[in-house]
Amino acid sequence: MSAPLHATPTRRETLFGLGAGLGSVAFSSLLQAAGGHPGPHHPARAKRVIFLMMEGGPSHLDTFDPKPELARRHLQEFTREGDMQSAMSSGKRYFVQSPFDFVKAGECGADISKPWEHLKNVVDDICFFRGCQVESVNHPTACFHVNTGNRFGGDPAVGAWVTYGLGSENDNLPGFVVLPRTAYPQGGSGNWSNGFLPADYQGTPLRPKGSPILDLNPPAGITRERQRKNLDLLARLNQEHLKIRPGRDDLAARMESYELAYRMQTEVPGVLDLKGEKQATLDAYGIGNAKTDDFGRKCLMARRLVEKGVRFVQAYAGNWDSHDYIEKAHGSLISSVDQPIAALITDLKERGLLDETLIVWCGEFGRTPDNGLRGGKQAYGRDHNAKAMSMWFAGGGVKAGHTVGATDEIGAEAVDCVHHIRDVHVTLLHLLGLDDNRLTFYHAGRHKQLSQFGGQVIQELLA
Amino acid sequence: MTHQKLWIVLAGASLLGGSVDAEVSEGEKLFALKVKPLFAEKCNACHGDEPEKIKGDFDMRTRESLLKGGDYFGDEVLMPGEGEKSFLYLTTTRTEEDYEMPPKEADQLTEEQQWWIRDWINAGAPWPDDERVAFLQEKYAEGEKVSTSKALTEDWQERRYEGGKLWSYRPLQVSDLPEGRHPIDWFIDRKLKDAGLDPAPPAAALELVRRLSFGLTGLPPEPEEVKQFQAEYARDPAAAVLGYGRERMASPHYGEQFGRHWLDVARYADSAGFANDYARPNAWRYRDYVVRSFNEDKPYSEFVREQIAGDEIDPKNPELLVATGFLRMGPWEQTGMSVFKETRQMWLDDVTDSVGQTFLAHAMQCAKCHDHKFDPVPTRDYYRMMAVFSTTQFADRDAPFLGGESKEGFAERLSWTESKVKYTEAMGAETKKNVIRHKIEKDAVEPIAHAVYTGKTVHKKNVQGRQRMAPKPWANGYFDEDAILTGGDVYSPGDSVVPGALSAAESLAGMEVKPFPKGQGKRRLALADWIADPKNPLTARVMVNRVWSWHFGKGIAGNPNNFGGTGKPPTHPELLDYLANWFMENDWSVKKLNELIVSSAAFQRSSAHPDPERESEVDPKKETYASFLPRRLTAEELRDAMLVASGEWNPAVGGIPARPDINFEVAVQPRQIMGGTATVYEPDPEPEQRNRRSLYAERVRGLRDPFLETFNQPGPDDSCEIRETSTVAPQALTLMNTEEVQDRALALAARLLREDASDAQILDRAFQRTLGRPATDREREACLAHWKQASEEESQNVPEPKEFVTEVERTVRVEKTGEFTTFTEKLPAYEKYIPDLQRSDVDARTRGLSHICVVLFNLNEFSYLD
Repeated sequence: MSAPLHATPTRRETLFGLGAGLGSVAFSSLLQAAGGHPGPHHPARAKRVIFLMMEGGPSHLDTFDPKPELARRHLQEFTREGDMQSAMSSGKRYFVQSPFDFVKAGECGADISKPWEHLKNVVDDICFFRGCQVESVNHPTACFHVNTGNRFGGDPAVGAWVTYGLGSENDNLPGFVVLPRTAYPQGGSGNWSNGFLPADYQGTPLRPKGSPILDLNPPAGITRERQRKNLDLLARLNQEHLKIRPGRDDLAARMESYELAYRMQTEVPGVLDLKGEKQATLDAYGIGNAKTDDFGRKCLMARRLVEKGVRFVQAYAGNWDSHDYIEKAHGSLISSVDQPIAALITDLKERGLLDETLIVWCGEFGRTPDNGLRGGKQAYGRDHNAKAMSMWFAGGGVKAGHTVGATDEIGAEAVDCVHHIRDVHVTLLHLLGLDDNRLTFYHAGRHKQLSQFGGQVIQELLA
Repeated sequence: MTHQKLWIVLAGASLLGGSVDAEVSEGEKLFALKVKPLFAEKCNACHGDEPEKIKGDFDMRTRESLLKGGDYFGDEVLMPGEGEKSFLYLTTTRTEEDYEMPPKEADQLTEEQQWWIRDWINAGAPWPDDERVAFLQEKYAEGEKVSTSKALTEDWQERRYEGGKLWSYRPLQVSDLPEGRHPIDWFIDRKLKDAGLDPAPPAAALELVRRLSFGLTGLPPEPEEVKQFQAEYARDPAAAVLGYGRERMASPHYGEQFGRHWLDVARYADSAGFANDYARPNAWRYRDYVVRSFNEDKPYSEFVREQIAGDEIDPKNPELLVATGFLRMGPWEQTGMSVFKETRQMWLDDVTDSVGQTFLAHAMQCAKCHDHKFDPVPTRDYYRMMAVFSTTQFADRDAPFLGGESKEGFAERLSWTESKVKYTEAMGAETKKNVIRHKIEKDAVEPIAHAVYTGKTVHKKNVQGRQRMAPKPWANGYFDEDAILTGGDVYSPGDSVVPGALSAAESLAGMEVKPFPKGQGKRRLALADWIADPKNPLTARVMVNRVWSWHFGKGIAGNPNNFGGTGKPPTHPELLDYLANWFMENDWSVKKLNELIVSSAAFQRSSAHPDPERESEVDPKKETYASFLPRRLTAEELRDAMLVASGEWNPAVGGIPARPDINFEVAVQPRQIMGGTATVYEPDPEPEQRNRRSLYAERVRGLRDPFLETFNQPGPDDSCEIRETSTVAPQALTLMNTEEVQDRALALAARLLREDASDAQILDRAFQRTLGRPATDREREACLAHWKQASEEESQNVPEPKEFVTEVERTVRVEKTGEFTTFTEKLPAYEKYIPDLQRSDVDARTRGLSHICVVLFNLNEFSYLD
C-alpha cells in the first residue's frame, strides 16, 4: 500500500498532486485556461472602468444642465401631447425651476449646481455629456437598459462584457466587482448579470453589510484550521477519484476552485481593510463623516480594487428618484457623493491612474422640467424623462474640460449630439480597446453584442 | 422563349461576346449567383438601400457608382481586372485596420465569399442588368428557393438556401431498420463504424443506477435500491435497466424531474419581475399541471394544445385553464409609470418568441424587425404568429381545485400572509407598497388559474393583483391592429397581416394550409392544432430532441431552442427523424420514448472510453456517443440529493411554493421595489415545509436563492434550452460554508449515528448515502482518523444555540427627502420557527462526523454522474 491517505499533505502536495497541470487557475478559471478573451481589438485608451451608478434617475436640470428658462416659466401650466403618455403624466402639471443656483466652474467654465462644492474643483478633468437618450421611463427597465443594453433584462451587464473581452488582471479577485447599496436596485442582481456569457463574468457584489462575499468564511464555530483540514481530506479523496478518470479537466478544475476559494478568504478582506490608508486619504474621501461615509468607502474601495487589477467596478448611490421635494432630496444626495467623487478623481490623478481609468457617472434617465400636483400641493419635484439626461466621464481617453451635447431650452429633450445609450456603450468599449461589433457571443440564434444591433462611437467625447 | 429575349438584351453588353453558350461568362455568373446577393445581404444596408443615408458616400447600387468610390477610397475601390488590389476586396479580408467591412464581426465574410468578390473583379467586374441576373440565377443557381408568406423585400423572397440548412422544415425521412436491432443503436453504431471507433463498454451497475435515478427523478437511489439493482443487473442487465427505469417513471418524482426540464424552457417563476415584482400567487398550479402531465404521460400533442389554447378547447375544465399559464410565464408588469400600448406589445413580442422557441425551436425575435437573416422566416410570419395572440387577454380565472392538486399548508400560509399584511400596515409609509404585495399573496390558496381568455384588449393603467375576466369579452375595448410593425416599433404599423404560422414549414413539409380564424375566432386553437399536426415537420423533432438532450446532456441537434440555419445541425439526422416518427406512432408518449432511450446500449455506455486518445482524435466534440457524457448534478439535484442523504427530505408532491431556508444575509438583504423597499424573505416555520424538493422553492424573480443561482440555475426571464455548467470559486465557498450545507451534513451525521453500528460501518453508510457505495479501505482509514481528530477538537468547543430573531431593524433612504429612516419589521414566520438540527443539539462525536459529511457533499463524486 502506498502512503497512508490521512497524512496531511502540504499545500505544495495538494496543488501539485492534482495531475492536471492546472497549477494556479484564475478566479474565472475555465474559460481563461481554455483560450483567453476576444479583446483588445485596438489600442486601449483606458484599462479599467469605475462606473458610478446614480440609481433612481438624477435630475440633469438640478446638477449639470442649467435652464434659466425654467425660472421664467416657474409654475406656469405645462401641457404635453402624444399618445405615449403613462398615468404618471396625468393631472395638472407645472414648470418647475431648479431650487439650486449654478456656477461656472474651472478653466473650462463648466455649468454645475452649487451643492457640488467639491466636484466643481475637478471639472477640468471631466467631460460632461448632455445628449444621451434612453427608451424607458420605468426604473427597472431603464436600469437594465443602462446596465445591460437590454430593457427587459436577462442579458450580460456592461461589466460582464468588458471582463469577457479583456479578462481580469488579478487571479484571486473577480474581474467585475459591484459595490451595491444596502438595498439592491429594482431588478436585483439582474443588473450585474453575466446573462448568456459564462458565469465567470458575472458581477460579484461586495456587500456593504455582513459578509462582503456570501459564505466567504466558515460558519460560526468552525475555525479556518479545521476548514483547511477538511479541504485537505477533500483534496485527497478527490485525487483518488480523479486517478481513475484521467483527462477529466473539469474535475481537476473543480478541485482547484476550492484552493482558489481558500485564497480568496484572505485576499478579499485584505482589499476591504482600509487600515493601511492614511488618515488624510480617509478624510479626503469623507470617510468617518456620517453624510459621506458610505459612498466615500465605495469610492476608496473602487480605487483599491482597480489598483489590484479589477477590470470593472460599479458603485451604486441613490436613490435619486425625487418626484417631490427635490431641493431636500437631491441636495442631500449630492452632498453624500460630491466629496467622495471629487476625492476619487484627485486620488487617481495623483497616483497616475486617472489616465488609464475611465470614470463614468450616470443614472438610468433624466428628469422632467415639470411636475404635477400630488397630494393637492406643489412639492417641486420632477418625474422621469428618457429624452434628456446628463452623464459625465473622466479619465482614460475622454475630452477633459468639455461639455458635449445640449438639451432644448427647457431641458425636456436632447437636441444636440443626440445619442442613444447604445452609443454610450459602444464608446465605453471603444475606449477600452474593444469593438462592439467584434465583441460578440453566439446565443439563441444570433451573434449578440452589448449594443444589441450595433451603434456608433461618440467621437465628440474622445480626447 | 424568355431565354431568347434575354440574349438579345445582353448582346450589346461590352463584356460579353462569342457564341451563345460561351456568352455566359464565369464573371457574370459569379456576379448573378454570388456577388450581387452578397452585396444585398451584407453591404447594401449602409451602401444603397436607403439612398439618403448612404455611409461614406459610397453607393454600391451600380457599377458606375462603385467605380467612382466614396469618401475614403476613390477609384482604387474597384479596379476591374485587379481583384487583389481593389479595396472592395481588401476591406473584406479585414486586414485594413479601421476599414474592416462589413464592420460587424458577426457579419464578416467567409474566405470563400471574399474570393467571390476578388474573382469577380479579376473577371472584369461585369454587371449584367436585372433581367439577365434573373435569367442566370434561374438557370445556374444552386440551393433552393423557399415559398413563404411574403417577404419585406424582393431579394429576400428570391433568395436561395443551402439544402442542408432546411433540414428541420422537411418531412421526416424514416428509414427502414433491420429486424431485431435497437433503432438508436442501429443509427449510432453505424456512424461509429464509419468513424472506425469502438464504443466504450457498458457502465458499471452503480454508475447506471445513479444515472437512471437522477436522470428520471432527479434524486439519488437509496442504498438498498443500489444493492438490489446491482444484483438484478448481474442476472439480467437488460431486464434490470428496463425494470428500474419503469419503476422510476412510475414514481411521482419522475414528473417533478421532467417538469423541471420543461419549466426551464417555459421560464417558470412565482413573481412578475421588474419594479414591483408582485407575486403570481396562482402560478404554482401551472407548475403542478406540468408535473402531472409528465406523470400521467399525457400525449405531448395534447400537452402542446392545452398550454397554447386550453381555454379555447374547454373553458369549463380547470386543468385546461391552468395549462394556459404557459402563455404568461415571462416577466411582465404595468405600473402607473408604464405606457400600456408598450407593455401590451412587450407581452405580444414575448409570447410570440416564447411559443416559437418552445414548440418550434425558432427564435422568432430574429424576424421581428427584418426578414430573418438566415432562415426562411419573413417578418410577416412573425406578425402573423403575433396576430394569433392579439385577442388573448390576461385573466386570473375561477378554476376549482382538482382532486389531484395539493392543498397542503393552505391554512398556515394564509395565516402567515395575514400576519404579514397586519404588520406591514402598521409599519408606515416606506413599506406601504408591501401591504398590496402581501395582500396579493392571499390568492395563493384560492381556486384561481393564472390564465388567459379570448376577447378585445382593454386599456389598463396600473395592474395590481387579480385581473378579472371581462364579463363580455367582445363588448368593450379594441382589437389590437394585426399589422407588421416597421422596425419592430409599436408606433409604426405597416402592412396588415392575418393570423398564421411559419409558412416555410407549410410549404417545405407539404402541410395542408388552412387559414387561421380572424376576428372573434379561436386563433390560438388553430395555432395549437397547427403545431400538433403530425405533418408539422418541427414539433415532434423538437420534443424528441429535448428529451434526448435531457438524457445525454446534449441534443442530436445541438440547440434545442433553435432548429434554424444558425443552430447546430443534427449529428444523426436519420436517428432524429426515426425517433420523431416513432414518438408520434407511440401516441406522443414521453415515457415510452424514455424507455426506448434508456434501453439502448448508447445510453448504458461507460463514460470512460478504453482508448481515450483514439476517441478524442476521432471524435473531439464527443458527437459519436462512443462513450457517455458525464454530467454534473444541477443546482436542484445537488440540494435535493443532500436532503435525501440527510433524511430530512419531505417527499410531498405539488402545492403552494415552499419557502426553504436561504442564506440569511440574502433573506434580510433589502431590495428596492417601486416606491420603497420589499419586506424580507421569510422561510417556512417548519422543517418539513422548508425541506421540500427545490422544484417547489418559491421562485421570485427579484430574489434568487444564491445557492441555486451559484450552481447555474438559469434565471427565469429567458428560456433555457440546456443548463450551463460553470466551475467558479463561489461554488466552493457555498458548498463548504453555507449554513444550508452545514445543516444537511449535521443531520446526516446524526442520522448515521442513530444506527447501531461500528465506526467503520457508520462510515460505509455515510459513503452509501452520498455516493451509493461503501468506502474503500484507504478512504475508510483516512476518514476514521479525520473523524477522531475532528471530534476531539469539537469536544473542546461548546457551541451556543443559534438565536432566531423575530424582527429585524431596517434602514432605508426616504425617496422624498434623501434622509435615512429606521424601522422595525416583524417576521411572523420566526415566531413559530422550528430550526433544523443545530450543532448545539448534538455531541462532539456527531459534530466531528459532520465534518466528514461536509467533505462528502463536496466531493467530485457526489456532484458528478459518470
